[in-house]
Amino acid sequence: MLREVKEKLFLCGIAIMAALAVLPLFHIIYSVAARGLPVLLKGGLKFLSGTLAPPGDGLGGIGPAILGTFILTSLASLIGLPIAVMTGVYAAEYPESILGRLTRSLLTIMMEFPTILVGLFVMQILVIPMGSYSAIAGALALAIVMMPYVAVYTEEAFKNIPFTYREAAFGLGLTRFKVVFRVLARMAKKGIVTGMLIGMAKVAGETAPLLFTAGGLNRIYFAGIDRPVGAIPLLIYNLVQQPYENYHEIAWGASLVLLLIFLAIFLPLRLSLKEVKL
Amino acid sequence: MKGEVDTFRLSLLPFCALVFGIFTLMIIIYLTASFPIFQKEGIQIYITNVWNALEDNPDKEFYGVLAAIYGSVYTSVLAVLIALPLSIGFAVFVIDYAPHKIKEPLIVVTDIMAGLPTIIYGIWGAFVLVPMLRDYIMRPLYEHLSFIPLFSFEPVGGYSFLAAGVLLGIMVTPFASSIIREAYRMVPFTYKEAVFSLGATRYEATKILLGYIRPAIIAGILLAFGRAIGETVAVSLVVGNVFNIHPSLFAPGYTISSLIANQFGNAFIYGYMVSALFAAGFFLFIIGLIVNICGLIILRRYAYAQRG
Amino acid sequence: MDIKRLFILTTLILLVVLVMGCTQPQEKITIVGSGATFPQPQIEKWIDVYTERHPNIEIEYTGKGSGAGQNDFKQGLVDFACSDPPLSESLWDELKKKREPLQFPIIVGAVVVVYNLPEVENLRLDGETLAKIFMGKIEYWDDPAIKQFNPEANLPHEKILVVHRSDSSGTTKIFTTYLSLVSDEWAEKVGSGKTVDWPVDKLGRGIGGKGNQGVATAVKQNLYSIGYVELSYALKENFSIVALKNKAGKFVTANEETIKSAVSMVSVSIPSPKEGYKEDLKALLNAAGEKSYPIVAFSHIVIREKYEDKAKDKAIKDFVKWILTEGQKSENVVQGYVGLPEGVTSKLLAET
Repeated sequence: MLREVKEKLFLCGIAIMAALAVLPLFHIIYSVAARGLPVLLKGGLKFLSGTLAPPGDGLGGIGPAILGTFILTSLASLIGLPIAVMTGVYAAEYPESILGRLTRSLLTIMMEFPTILVGLFVMQILVIPMGSYSAIAGALALAIVMMPYVAVYTEEAFKNIPFTYREAAFGLGLTRFKVVFRVLARMAKKGIVTGMLIGMAKVAGETAPLLFTAGGLNRIYFAGIDRPVGAIPLLIYNLVQQPYENYHEIAWGASLVLLLIFLAIFLPLRLSLKEVKL
Repeated sequence: MKGEVDTFRLSLLPFCALVFGIFTLMIIIYLTASFPIFQKEGIQIYITNVWNALEDNPDKEFYGVLAAIYGSVYTSVLAVLIALPLSIGFAVFVIDYAPHKIKEPLIVVTDIMAGLPTIIYGIWGAFVLVPMLRDYIMRPLYEHLSFIPLFSFEPVGGYSFLAAGVLLGIMVTPFASSIIREAYRMVPFTYKEAVFSLGATRYEATKILLGYIRPAIIAGILLAFGRAIGETVAVSLVVGNVFNIHPSLFAPGYTISSLIANQFGNAFIYGYMVSALFAAGFFLFIIGLIVNICGLIILRRYAYAQRG
Repeated sequence: MDIKRLFILTTLILLVVLVMGCTQPQEKITIVGSGATFPQPQIEKWIDVYTERHPNIEIEYTGKGSGAGQNDFKQGLVDFACSDPPLSESLWDELKKKREPLQFPIIVGAVVVVYNLPEVENLRLDGETLAKIFMGKIEYWDDPAIKQFNPEANLPHEKILVVHRSDSSGTTKIFTTYLSLVSDEWAEKVGSGKTVDWPVDKLGRGIGGKGNQGVATAVKQNLYSIGYVELSYALKENFSIVALKNKAGKFVTANEETIKSAVSMVSVSIPSPKEGYKEDLKALLNAAGEKSYPIVAFSHIVIREKYEDKAKDKAIKDFVKWILTEGQKSENVVQGYVGLPEGVTSKLLAET
């Protein structure tokens, strides 16, 4: 009798746990949509293109932040992708070498690294010597955060190519360069692009690496890559800590924009894959 | 092929070296930047709860980040305690009981949760979760059960270890659950057959099978802990940001990452604050490293055992 | 999509954006500043008005606390900084090594004590009691010390939640300097500074807010809390403000009249901008006069004597001059602040 009761409790418990694990996402999406949508509707297109409103007075816009996020993500990709892809290839092609194994381990460790520490590091080595918060510093910090993801995906993509293709390519007398970059790369393309996009989606939403590197801009759109730049997560972070109601509204609106950007990149990606490493 | 130089390998080496270089440079920077405060205070930077920031008097400055360490550990442990049942339950449900149609969508949902920008968790936490926790859980518990130390702090604003722990728990559950899920899925079918043929109820069967994948569960916990302790933005918006060491769930406090986020911007005008914050960051660095490495080792060994 | 094509496309877009950004400085001058949140609403207003009249100049100000502003200025990360307390001598000496600083007071503001007690209006306190509250010695709202000044008020038997700054703040420096003046115990136990070790934290009744905005948010959201902010924040959020006992023994709240009275009562000797560290914060605190509000302070802007970029040099100096002249006119002063006295502005302008 007791066993049956335990059984029933267990089944209920499992179902509840599973529901609790996923419920928050729906609540979050609901909250962001419910509070952010009215703001977007009220602000209209101006919300996406204008500059920040004064405290307590209207909605203005989050244009500089959106542009900033775009600039930062692109710059970070430009810096981080080549390094990450090459590193991933090395780890895939020389898996038995010490360096290859170490690299793989290092990348997996760096994936979970506290991102605030990356921001501090970049501040010390770039922001202070340069004498200004800058887009390039923010991009560097984001690139460091992004690299492990892209590298791991690249490595997996290459590893998944059946050995026969390599054999065939070598059999034809191609040099290693050509084998990897002409033959295998084309086949691993999907995996690499997936890694790139996952990395970009992740860093577009990062705040901590930008806190002491990018500076943040509210009124000016773009001042040069060696000058401060805005970003949506930074903006939300600042606005949430202020008491003004209109700033809170703007924060919700910006959150909705960020959520939509994230889902737009991530969802199609995820649905076209079987599994994702995060 | 002896003696031939592998130019391909050579051309890739610089990139690997760069990655290692960045990592090593980070460690060096943290060590050198923390050095002054170690010289000045020794181990006291980590074991006292003081924040004496004086502008003109570098000698009298004194920093002790114990409150932040306490808060980081407290909230991360809380997060793991919440994430553990949730991720195990989720894993078992998805693998064993979910109807086929919702298996995939459920996994997609947790993947989205894993990648969701943490600031969105933060704004939801600050404006939605905290009031909810305060009104429906903290206040009632405080009113009736405040003799229990865990509940003994008056929850006024709601910013507390509990809020941070719950938010972190929600955030790290997807990470733990993906590891546990993978491991549980890989349990050979023969084991399941064997256990059921012995007449076990589903409850008993699951218990046994989970025991089988225990290393993976431990690894999942460790990695979740590492992730939780490193989280900055979401936590700093709900934890209260005060130097407070208190056993109650409802008390506000500090974590290492939110301490750095709050104080670094003004640290350079003081003699030793920069160094103190780097020392705190270094501590976080080391904990994160240890926890992640342990988790990975356990996972690797377990994977070997599976294949062997 | 082909990786190559994606790569080329992104690079092209980036190049376009960067080129756009880099060609701007020739037409537009960008000035970046950071610092105190105390004067922030006022500075934002000045930026709005000034940049409207000078469309080729862009100014960005980030409020992150006087400490962070001084920090940024010292590291050379911003073109100007705003600080409530005058820069300390040691900082001034350090700055002189790299870039000779100039410091100008730009506006007068007041630090007010706000509280969240719905049924209580016009709470009255004196300096000693205030110090005791912030030290944590007075625990409940209905403590006799508070009741003494507010006999008819409906004070609840609830613990006082003390809100203070979590970042390095000029507002904190002003407030704690005042508390040190009126309470010997405070001066001894806690002292004054941009950051202090708040005793209430250890007692578990302290909350830290980032910036004046953070403190305002915390007081707004937490019942039975008390905190200190610049007057403009209190006015904006319609907070209940404490009437403090001034030196003459009268209970006054902060408004234009009481602030002006405090400023006029003291013959403020403002040093030359090249020796800004000589300014004494205490001069305006606890001023004499029946109508004077006790916690009044200047807020300052710190710039370099010379900038390498000639256009920027001219623009910044012009901006500061504008602040000291047009900016002080009543239509450009935000509610909660008071313009500098005539004597002060004329003296400063003579020096530039």
